[in-house]
Amino acid sequence: MTPLRSALILLLTAGLVAPSLAAQDPAPPQDPVTDESDITAVIEKGGVAQLRLAFPALVVRPGTSSGAATAIRGFERALRQDLESSGVFAIQGPEELSVLDLTGDRGQDFELYRSLTNETVLLVEGYESDERFVIEGRLYDLASQQSILGKRYRGTFDLSRRVAHTFSDEILLYFTGTRGIALTSIAFTSDRSGHKEIYLMDYDGESVRPLTDHDSISMAPAWAPTGDNIAYVSFFAGPPAIYRVDLATGAKQPIVNDGNLNSSPDFSADGTRIAFTRSLEGNTEIFVANRDGSNLTRLTRSAGIDTNPAFSPNGTKIAFTSSRAGNPHIYIMDTDGTNLQRVTFEGTYNDGAEWSPDGTKIVYATRRGRDFDIAVTDLALLDTQVLTSAVPGSHESPTWSPDGRFLAFSTTLGGKTQIRVMPATGGPARTLTGDGNNMAPDWSAYPPR
Amino acid sequence: MIRNRMVLLASLVLLIGAVGCGKKPQTAEAPVIKSVEPTPTDVAPPPAPTVTEDPKAWMNEELAKVTEMANQKGLLGDVYFDFDRFELSADARERLAKNARFMLDEPQFVLTVEGHCDERGTNDYNLALGEKRASAARDYLVSLGVPANRLRTISYGEERPFCSGSSESCWSQNRRAHFMISSRTDG
Repeated sequence: MTPLRSALILLLTAGLVAPSLAAQDPAPPQDPVTDESDITAVIEKGGVAQLRLAFPALVVRPGTSSGAATAIRGFERALRQDLESSGVFAIQGPEELSVLDLTGDRGQDFELYRSLTNETVLLVEGYESDERFVIEGRLYDLASQQSILGKRYRGTFDLSRRVAHTFSDEILLYFTGTRGIALTSIAFTSDRSGHKEIYLMDYDGESVRPLTDHDSISMAPAWAPTGDNIAYVSFFAGPPAIYRVDLATGAKQPIVNDGNLNSSPDFSADGTRIAFTRSLEGNTEIFVANRDGSNLTRLTRSAGIDTNPAFSPNGTKIAFTSSRAGNPHIYIMDTDGTNLQRVTFEGTYNDGAEWSPDGTKIVYATRRGRDFDIAVTDLALLDTQVLTSAVPGSHESPTWSPDGRFLAFSTTLGGKTQIRVMPATGGPARTLTGDGNNMAPDWSAYPPR
Repeated sequence: MIRNRMVLLASLVLLIGAVGCGKKPQTAEAPVIKSVEPTPTDVAPPPAPTVTEDPKAWMNEELAKVTEMANQKGLLGDVYFDFDRFELSADARERLAKNARFMLDEPQFVLTVEGHCDERGTNDYNLALGEKRASAARDYLVSLGVPANRLRTISYGEERPFCSGSSESCWSQNRRAHFMISSRTDG
């Protein structure tokens, strides 16, 4: 992460529209968020109504080298994918727009885009300057013909995907009031090398990179909310213990490695504490400790299995799995172990709870028949929706995207396990992985700006 | 069952052949059974030098032989569990009584009890469940007089299945406590 971040000094997010154009555009708003206006209302209700966006082919200015042009085309591909996968837009272009007989006159052309029921248009130009590629993107409201968002980005040729993700996140922020997730990443476990190791990939499954090389069993990655390190469980030194890997240096160090079993790490949202499972005389209980493993405190006392703790986003509660009532179910307690409350009652096996970013819901794996499904329970109403009943396979290990709009999880089907992403309300899932078996996804927080 | 034991024996023989393998035999066992592609050292073990570099390798090999010979006599055999359960069945207690007898007859050995689960359920939960299974078996051995300081436990959860496949016939073999002589009380 940090090497990428340092490369980002090359990427300059310029202010709004270029001066030459600003003259033609009646003052674009300085802060996009303050001008959400009525467009936001259109896309509420879980993205049922999509914003109709015309996105004609990006224009590469003459005099652009082939290296810069390749970067610009890569940018366009990634941006289209980002906007498409956000689910917020119904996008036309370039193919759907080819039926239009554009005139070159902006007013007339905007009317033509509008004639195909589009509400907005995204016009993007790319060119080269000082061995960097430059992108200028402008969004216009077609009804008023007003410019609503303008951005210029500049970067080395290898940053095309990153520039696209950055722009996409800004567009999403403008239209939804919530920053997009295109710059987030997912930690996961894969056996592609022959051993289970911890890996990292971009939110769309691209740029997979290994984080561990223990040649043992390594599993259960958990992001530190600071985004600079990931806790995980490994057997490489003997019994399962909790370690952390520093993403900038690759350095690994133990967090809790004494005793017979330490597993299932989860950081508090402020990053200062870690909840985990620890075995005492063969019985697993929930513990919390400082992030360096000091100040160990036991929170549960039951003869059953207690495992898989998850801090609530506000840091006051911990959800976990317990078999104290016979079968595994999800319970919630305060972070000092008091105020225990059982929150799942259906199914024979509920496990792996993760809180929604707003703290109102938990998602987990539930066993209703032979296989596992992904279920979401509203904690105020204790109302449960099973999201994957109609999706073939067994589904486990759900994790929320930081905007709360998506869930990543693993699906086992035909003897293979892969990581997929679907809307948090259910619906079609995209498969992100394919090499070996891939599981236990943990979605990062937003990277710092 | 008999076939499984043959597989186990064959794998142990393979394991003993791999003198150059510096890893602990008890953790190397499962990959061989799963026929994960063997590392070059497994296929062509380097000669004696490796052994002199790591004297423990000899001991580990000897300990694996002890486990193997016990298995041949029907001792130190696996005990099996129901789905999501860690209670010991009558069969399991009978098997554990034999295992306890072996440990009482051979006071020079330390036994590691591995807890294993089938692939259903989450990896995290199964790690905890395997711990419960291993300690249920350990506790029963202790109740039969085996000193607790000669017993170790480790949970592998669903991470080292004995049988890879998604059917009850495989799953039932994977829900087990597995026993390996892991060290000597005098060494």
